[in-house]
Amino acid sequence: MRNTIKMISVLTVVGLISGAALVFMYNYANPLIEKNKKNEMKKAIFRIFPDGKSYTDETVNGVDVFRVKDAGGAFIGYTFLAEGNGYQGVIKMMAGISPRTETLTGLEILESQETPGLGQEIATDKFTSQFKALKVTPEIAYVKNTKPVNPNEIQAITGATISSRAVVTILNDTIKKIKGKLK
Amino acid sequence: MATTLILIFISAAVTHNFVLTYFLGICPFVGVSKRIEQALGMGMATTFVMTLAAMVTWVIYHFILVPFGLPFLQYAAFIIVIASLVQVVEMFIRKTSPQLYRALGIYLPLITTNCAILGLTLFMVLREYSFSESVVFGLGAGCGFTLALIIMSGIREELDCCNIPGPLKGAGITLIIAGLLSLAFMGFGGLVSK
Amino acid sequence: MTDNKNCAACGMEFCKGLWRENPILVQVLGMCPTLAVTTKALFGFSMGMATLFVLVSSSLVISSVRKLIPPQVRIAAFTVIIATFVTSADYFLKANFYTISKALGPYVPLIVVNCIILGRQEAFAYKNGVLKSLIDAAGMGLGFSIVLVVLGSIRELLGFGTIFYCEIFGKGFEHWVIMALPAGAFITLGFLVGFFNWINMKREA
Repeated sequence: MRNTIKMISVLTVVGLISGAALVFMYNYANPLIEKNKKNEMKKAIFRIFPDGKSYTDETVNGVDVFRVKDAGGAFIGYTFLAEGNGYQGVIKMMAGISPRTETLTGLEILESQETPGLGQEIATDKFTSQFKALKVTPEIAYVKNTKPVNPNEIQAITGATISSRAVVTILNDTIKKIKGKLK
Repeated sequence: MATTLILIFISAAVTHNFVLTYFLGICPFVGVSKRIEQALGMGMATTFVMTLAAMVTWVIYHFILVPFGLPFLQYAAFIIVIASLVQVVEMFIRKTSPQLYRALGIYLPLITTNCAILGLTLFMVLREYSFSESVVFGLGAGCGFTLALIIMSGIREELDCCNIPGPLKGAGITLIIAGLLSLAFMGFGGLVSK
Repeated sequence: MTDNKNCAACGMEFCKGLWRENPILVQVLGMCPTLAVTTKALFGFSMGMATLFVLVSSSLVISSVRKLIPPQVRIAAFTVIIATFVTSADYFLKANFYTISKALGPYVPLIVVNCIILGRQEAFAYKNGVLKSLIDAAGMGLGFSIVLVVLGSIRELLGFGTIFYCEIFGKGFEHWVIMALPAGAFITLGFLVGFFNWINMKREA
């Protein structure tokens, strides 16, 4: 009986001390983590809109949208978060769109685990720069092995059609959700 | 709904096989893959634990940790659940099938440290699966693990009669084979396109 | 006289983790993080440091209170203590090294089931004094980290042409994509283990 009591009390003490240590750790780390996440978001927004100086965030039809203003307080465009399934996992991205939601102003891939050297090239400037000044009407499309002809087309990465297509599909789906709902 | 479940199962078992794509469960993979019967027994025990673990940890996370604002107790809570489950499974196998118990030997308690089980529960939380999705995910992951284990043991049984260079015997050649298997499984990648 | 012997003994305890009983190359433990995070040398280094931290802290705590823990509940106690340190390490990384934490992903919490840590507690820290356990843990952790860095460097060099993000091969180098894939990890580690065994065989000959 004494043995059982000892076992239970030791485990309880260990559990309590660990729990307390974790609460302490959590309280220390959580504000820093939230700050890191916000910084990451901020960096992406200002990489898409280099003239942007401030932004406000809102949720439109389930999508996180950021209204970006420049140094003079003028409204220069929106950025929105989009995510979806790629070839190997979830792709998270932030895209910039003009005030009248007709043209994309840029694309930043935030998280992706595609095949390195192939699908993962979607995170490179070479691919994402195609999304600057890209028309979104009727919707974004991709072409393979040729240079894009129309203003709403981008060229898919050779050998990484699925990843490229995923990016395009995710963008189209998200734009559909927010189009017409932005003030 | 059914298609999502089937996709999750196939994805966990084949296209994103836990062992060959996510590097989970390598220790038993390298350690218990010498004989097919051993591999099969280990695989089934692990699948059983995985499915149960997925169910129990899902309930604990969604009904206890989240409502009480304790997400940071996740790792500690999950591993305790897994350890207890393995203990229970061990007692169950001991009672019902003593020969399986003897065959698995020390590897049964080692299922606790099988990163695949904890990894499975962590992914389940990260991907925000529903209850049924989590169960199917656990089942699929277990089947994938068993599949990889059986293939590897089949190959290693064949290798018994081959001349392997001294330094590569054991862990070395097993890892290289695993690499080739992983390459082969990559071919399944485009199978499930969404 | 006794001091010299003690120093030699301590040295032995430390060095065994580096070579003779290297956790990855000899004991074949802790494979999961070894293969998963060694796409770049920096990630391997970070994972090694995180594991070293958990290993040393857990050994410190467990060897200090080992007389108070009844044998029947020792595994449960070890697990809770290890999980606490792992959670702390994970949150610390997320707070201060956000990009590295994202790259290491779910593999930091998986340190909890890294057989090396539980193995060392069971085999050593529970039965030995604080100083000895510390040295043992440090040696094992360091041995683990070194293999991670070596593996990470090889994979980064051949897969991306860099080591710790420094360009080694010029722009003309055709990347070995396979090195960045799981297959490359398995194969490289397999050859590394083979190379290690070969060196040992030569030494004994």
